[in-house]
Formats: sequence, C-alpha cells, structure tokens
Amino acid sequence: MKIYSSKLDKKSDKAIVVDDMLLTVDMPTSAGSKMLDGYMSLFEAEAITRLKANGYDIVGKADVGEFSFDLLGETSCNGAIVKDGKLCNASAEILKADEAVATVNLEVNGTVIRAAAQNDLCAVKPTYGTVSRYGTVPVACSGECVSVMSRNASVCREVLGVIAGHDDKDGTSLPEPYEYTSGVRRVAFLKSMTQGIDGEISEKLSSFKATLEKNGVEVCELDDEVICLSNIAWNILMSSELCNNVSRYDGVKYGHRAESFSGIDELYTNSRTEAFGELLKKTILFGSDNLSTENYMKVYDKALRIRRVISEAFAKIFGEFDAALMPACSTLSYGEDYLQSNKDAAFTENFYTAPASITGLPAVAVGGIQLIGKAFSDMMLLEAAELCEKEGK
Amino acid sequence: MKYETVIGLEVHVELATESKIFCSCSAHSYGSEPNEHVCPACCGMPGMLPVVNKRVVDFGMKAGMMLNCHINRVTTFDKKSYYYPDLPAAYQTTQWFAPVAVNGLVEIETSKGKKNVRIKQIHMEEDAGKLVHDIREDTTHVDFNRTSVPLIEIVSQPDLSSAEEVEVYLDRLKNLLRFAKVAECEMAHGTMRCDVNLSVRPEGSDKYGVRTEMKNMNSIEAIKRAIEYETARHIDAIENGTEVLVQETRRWDDIKGKSYAMRTKETAGDYRYFPDPNVMPVVIDDEWFDSIQDSLPEFPEVKRDRYINEYGLSEYDADQITKSIALCECFEEAYSVCKSAKDAANWIISEIMSILNKRMITYDMLKINAHALGELILLVSDGKVGRANAKKVLSDMFDDLTIDPLKYCEANGYIVSNDTGLVEKVVAEAIANDPKAVADYKGGKEKALMSIYGKCMKELKGNCDPQMLRTILIDAINKI
Amino acid sequence: MDKDTFRRLELLNQLKLTETEKADAFAFFGSREKERLALDKIDTSSVERMVHVMPIMTVVREDVAVQKFSREALQQGAPETDEGYWCVPRVVE
Repeated sequence: MKIYSSKLDKKSDKAIVVDDMLLTVDMPTSAGSKMLDGYMSLFEAEAITRLKANGYDIVGKADVGEFSFDLLGETSCNGAIVKDGKLCNASAEILKADEAVATVNLEVNGTVIRAAAQNDLCAVKPTYGTVSRYGTVPVACSGECVSVMSRNASVCREVLGVIAGHDDKDGTSLPEPYEYTSGVRRVAFLKSMTQGIDGEISEKLSSFKATLEKNGVEVCELDDEVICLSNIAWNILMSSELCNNVSRYDGVKYGHRAESFSGIDELYTNSRTEAFGELLKKTILFGSDNLSTENYMKVYDKALRIRRVISEAFAKIFGEFDAALMPACSTLSYGEDYLQSNKDAAFTENFYTAPASITGLPAVAVGGIQLIGKAFSDMMLLEAAELCEKEGK
Repeated sequence: MKYETVIGLEVHVELATESKIFCSCSAHSYGSEPNEHVCPACCGMPGMLPVVNKRVVDFGMKAGMMLNCHINRVTTFDKKSYYYPDLPAAYQTTQWFAPVAVNGLVEIETSKGKKNVRIKQIHMEEDAGKLVHDIREDTTHVDFNRTSVPLIEIVSQPDLSSAEEVEVYLDRLKNLLRFAKVAECEMAHGTMRCDVNLSVRPEGSDKYGVRTEMKNMNSIEAIKRAIEYETARHIDAIENGTEVLVQETRRWDDIKGKSYAMRTKETAGDYRYFPDPNVMPVVIDDEWFDSIQDSLPEFPEVKRDRYINEYGLSEYDADQITKSIALCECFEEAYSVCKSAKDAANWIISEIMSILNKRMITYDMLKINAHALGELILLVSDGKVGRANAKKVLSDMFDDLTIDPLKYCEANGYIVSNDTGLVEKVVAEAIANDPKAVADYKGGKEKALMSIYGKCMKELKGNCDPQMLRTILIDAINKI
Repeated sequence: MDKDTFRRLELLNQLKLTETEKADAFAFFGSREKERLALDKIDTSSVERMVHVMPIMTVVREDVAVQKFSREALQQGAPETDEGYWCVPRVVE
C-alpha cells in the first residue's frame, strides 16, 4: 500500500487523508497510474483548500486503483492490497488503523461506498454539484463526486459541511444556499436491487430495516426494474467519458513517455500502451466504441435517455419516501481470487452503486448497506446512519 | 458540356476577446513568446474545469445576428476527440449538437449581380495550438499560446460558384464582423482561416459531384488560385477521365500552384463527438439577447445610404468610407467637430487612406485621434493653417495621438500670418530679385506669376492665406 | 466485435493490446453487448436525453485575462522541451 507523506498523526482529530485522485501541490498525484507516477500538480483540489482553511491537516494521500473506477483499488500501479486473503482499499485501511479521522475521495464507480460498507465505516457520496470537483483527476465527470469516508457518520457530516459549497471554478457547481432536508419517516426497501447478494449482506439489510422500524421509521418493500438497469447505462457513460478524459495522457506534455519510438504515433501508442493497465485499456476501447458514428445514437444517446428514465423512477419513489434502502455490494469481502472468476467486477459489482452514480443522487454507506435519497438529503441520510451506529454500540 | 462549380466554405474566425474561451489565459497569442499564455487547463493537465467566457457567447450571438441567423437560446458544448500534438487534451471543445446560431443569410454583390449565400450554422469552439517545424532537426516544437483561444466557425451552404463570389463573400464576412467588432479577420495574422469544399457538376444539374476539401487556406489570392485549379482538375477528370475523383482532403501548394491529396490516417474523421458533461447549457435569456441586439452596429449599407442622403456625400465617397468601421468612426467623429461632411470625407479618402496604404496598414487598424482630425480640418477651412502644413501635422498625428492641432501648429510655426506688412516685404524682395519674371508676366505670361508666388509662399513657410498673397503680389507688380 | 473494428479502436485510442489482453477485451465487449440488450427493451423515443443530472445552466465568467502559472513551472515534468516549446518527433503534414 503506497501512502505519501510522513505526517500521519494518530492523535490529531483534524487529520485527513485524501485519495490520489485529488491534486495536491506538496505531494505527487498519480491516480494509481504508471502514466502519472510522481506527477506534481501546480494547484490543489478545492476540497483541500477548504479543509485547510477550516483547520484540517492533510496528512497523507491514499492509493487508488488506476483512475479509481475498479472494485477497491486493486488496479493501482502499486499493486493490490491483500490482507488475510481479502482485497482491501487503501483509504479504508487508513481509517481502520485510526491514522486519520476521515478520508476525502473521488467516488467514480462505487469504490468508496463499497469500501465503507465492507469495513463497517460510514461514507457519503454527496449530491452531485454540491462539492467542487476542481482539482480532481477527471474520469467520469457527469457522475463522479468528491466524497467523505470516516469511522462514523458525525465526522462525515462535519467534513462534508466544510467541503460542500458553490465554487465558481467548477461549471457544474450548484448555486447556494443548499437546503438540506432532515428527518427520516418513510424508507423504501428496493427489493429488486438485492439480486446477487449473499447471506451476510441480506442479514445486514434486515438488521438495518429493523433498526429503522425500531426508531419509528416506516419501511416498505418496493420493486423497480428500471433502476436495476443503472449500471448497464452507467458503464457506457463512464467508459466513454473516461476514454475522452484519459486521452490527454500521451507522453507529450508530462507523465510517462516511452523510451523507444519512431514518429509521433508510436510515441503516443507506446507511451500509453506501456503505462496503462489492462482494465483501463479495455475500458478505453469500449468507451470509444460507444461514441463511434455507428453506435452513438443506439448506445451512448440511449444511455443518456435511460439516465433520465432512472432519475424519473427515483423521483417517483422520493415523492412518497425519504430514502431508498439497498445493498452497497454483493458480499462483505472479496477474496483475492474473486477477480479471477469475476474479471469484469468493476462493471458488474457496480450494479449496487451505479443508481447513485448515474443520477447524481446522494448515497450513504453504513452498517454494510446503502441509502440513497433525493438531492440535498445528504445530511438526512447521515442522520439515519447515526441511528444504525447507535444500535451497533 | 458546360459545368458549374459548387463551393461551400467553413470560415474560422478568431474572436477578439481578452481571455481564452474556457480559461483565463490571455487570448492575444500573436507575436508572443512560446507558451507564455498557458495554464494547466490549456496545456492539457488534469483537474481544471472549463468556465465559459461571457464575451465569447456575446460575440457568437453578435456574429449570428450580423449574418441574419436564428440564435439558439439554449446552446451547448461538445467534445471532439482526436490525437494531434497541437491538441493538448486530445479533444477540442466545440458545438456539435446545438450551435449558437443557425440558418443565416449573407447578401453578396458581384459583377453578375446580387446573390444570397445561406449560412448553415455558426458554432463557437476553441482553437488548437501551433506547431513549429524545424527543418534542420527531426523535431516539431509545440506552442500552446493559441490553444483555447475562442473561434467561431461560419459554415455556409454550398451556394458559391466562383472564385470571385468566394472573394466577395469573404470580404463581406470580414466587413460585417469587423463592423460588429467581434473579430479582426486578418488572414495574414491567422485570425481568419478558411476550408474550401468544392465540387463540379453539369450546369443545371441538381446532383452534387464528388466533393474535395482544401483545409486551412489563409490568403485570398491562394484561395482564388486553388479554386481555379480544382475546378479545372475536376472538369478534366469528368470529361477526359484523367483521374477518378474521390471525396478527400487536399492540401493547396501555392508555390507550385497545385493541390495534393493529403495522406490521411485510417481513423481520420472519427471524432466521437459527445456532449461535454462539464459545461452546462448556456441559456440566453431575453435580457441577454436584447442587450446584444441593442449593441449591434449600423450595417455598412445603412451607413452608406445615410452618408449619401443625410450628409450629401457622393456614392463613391460613401462606398470608400464604409469599407471599414474604423474609417466610418473616424469620419463621424471628425464630422461632429468640423461640421463639414465633404471636408471630413475628403481628408479621410485623399489623405488618411493614402497614408494607411503607404504604411501598409489595413483600414481597420487605423488609430488616430479623430476629434483632433476634425479640429485640424477646421483650422484649414478657416484659413488658419495652410493645407501643405496641415498634411504634415496629420502625418505626425498618426504617431502621436495626443497632438492638439492648434497648439502643435503654433509651436511649429504653421499658423497663417495676418501680417500684411511682412507679406508686402517678402513680395517686394521677390519682385526685386526676379525682374525677368515680372517682365514676362507683364508681357502676358500668366505662368511667370506662379513662379514668383511660389517663391513668396516658400519664404513665408506656407503660413499665408493664398488669396491674400495673390492680391498683394498682383497689386505690387501692377504698381511697377 | 470484429477484428477490424477492434484494430480501428486501438488505432483511434493509441493503444496496442497483447494477444492475451485482446482475448480478454473481446470477452469484455461480449458481456457489455449482452447486457446492453436490456436497455433496448425500454422505449426511450419520447424521453429527452439527460447529459447533466442537475438542471442548472452555465454561469459565465467575465472576459478578464489573468496569468497565474509560469511556463517553467508548467514544463517542469515535461519529457522533452526546447527553448520554451514542448517537443515531439517531427510531424509531417
């Protein structure tokens, strides 16, 4: 596990670790890719600037998978983190070791929600546009969000409060004020989203449901087939945006340049081929194919329309309910051989996280499960998470 | 068989903004040190997000209005992907799905009469960087100063049919955009570039022939030669089967006077356009729309007619001045001071335009204190400064915009003297020095008088009312 | 996915996959193609595409030029520069 900086300080309650998708000026930013190994940015992420201004210390950087769209970070050029035969996530390990009070991560494809759910941590992927993406390595800009992970929900809330807010430097940043909702009364349990989960996750869902009910929250089972299509559409959008965003890494301006080449095309091809990992390469090609003249309308444009259908399905649910309860992942841990039998796990395990990614709705992972709410319900979802945490103690 | 040429143009015009389209770097790339106006965003580094420059949209709309386009009230940006070293992010942000302006019309007038050229669309986009090829080395140098400088691309329908029409159309675009002050449109500076799409078909046919495209043309003369050449090549191919025409991109070699098929990649043209998730739709509300409409200039023809009808200028004079917005502004300002449209037009056409021509400055680059010009014209028409001296002052006014004509003339001794005593003294000396001329004049040779007159005027340094000098001179000779 | 299309995708994206990577990518494309069929079952003919998840519009910035970064700093991590230029192998048009 590669962690930059030697400032890790267990005692400070202001110690924050950011993941390697956030640009820093005093530490390199590599986005888990050999392409950017040792890359020094000339400016830092807006979230970092806001944290520093509020007395937080950025004590280190946590490794990520290459451009952070894999399962838990296993595609990092620094290698996967495996402990006790299980795949681990760098940010979650830092929090479990109590080396920071919170981590601030770029959530692209569910890594943060999964890592929190599997490690009994709390994470919030905020409402799209409430936290500036300025200074983050772009991957799938239409859905990715700067997110917070911590050992408990109250810290998530505090840190989110600091980094959220309008930023002129991000054209997708929402205008203030943000009117966060509060008070959970009715929760929809999305039964159709429980496909593929194992017994442990099933238990987590039941116990969370029980906690809610014990606290006077009404929980109703609901089926929605459209929401189940989220990751299929998201895979298309994410891959195409990724393909476009990583096309800038070509060995000309900065980053890895192949040692041997003849001519400009070889410079490009050799540099990219050498520096990029297998998952990234096939994702680039898939993303490119979706945008071809022949495929654009039937694939990419279709996915954009499906995105609206899904958003409308959620809008309908949130007309009646305050939040939707669903799994965050299929299992509480991935064994180290998981990827051998699930080669495309990043594109299948995101079944559970893609609904929030593709709609920009806020999501909270807690107690091994996930809650999704309507826009600006971030703080309300964290309230519900706190109920769960209290029950656990 | 008779053939007709079918031409459509894609004209790229660099907008005259202070900063780039999506970042705050200076947009004045021409003549700068390499990579002086760059930031992480415009050299393709990760993490900066595009923030749209308002003036780019203002200018895009304005250009659309000048070209009688419909303005899309919701206009969006898209990404176009391809690899080339002048494109640092490997994508260009442009407008593919909802350009700022569509369905316009430009009227042109050639030797064959008036004609409308339809405008398909005008879209806003970012320029690419510049590549400098070092012939001695095996290296190309990359300069990103021009990267992300705002452009509009004006796409015409294939409504043009000759080199002459293309020239008139480009002149017309230039004139309109310069009147609106949205662009310099100087091909020599690269602020106007042109792609020519050309095909040939039998006259009267409604089917298009095989189309070829010549990209990045940057001189009117080269464009005209290229059109002549391509037209002949197409006709030759059709008539004599000299070659098989294919739809392709060609490069015009102006020195050799030939066009060549460009070596194209297998993947050329596969741009994978998609909507830019980082740029929200630009929504043009009524207030914004109206503010741009209210800021539109008087069109050149309207000005021309007004100059003729209101100011009594001749058609020729009005045509000359409305060639350039800078000349119009100079004229209107000078006129407001000197109150004589005829004099103001006269000074601009015979003096200012000739100075500009001599100094090889385009009319639009005219920089002069027009208020002061009006004062200078007044000094001449009031007989206070001689015309020859006034021309010297005007020339100096090009180099120094702070010159106050009256003070300047006083300081340089250009003020016409009313001292009849001095004039009489100079005349007396001149007569005494040239008895032959006096005798000739008396003998009926009118020319001899002019010789003495000239010597007197020179002695007086031009500072004498011509009529006064003439009267005193004739009186003095008659007294002999 | 056929071989020609795949080769074209590699060219377009300046990548060259090994035979093993290719085989894996083909399987990957196959899976994605299969799951995509589920989308086709949804009639979206009367649905507007959704590019941005939040219904906000662009906030434009004023046209003011600011130079915040030096060329030297920007070229610090450059593989090859010369007299203020980035360098690439000679590009012939």
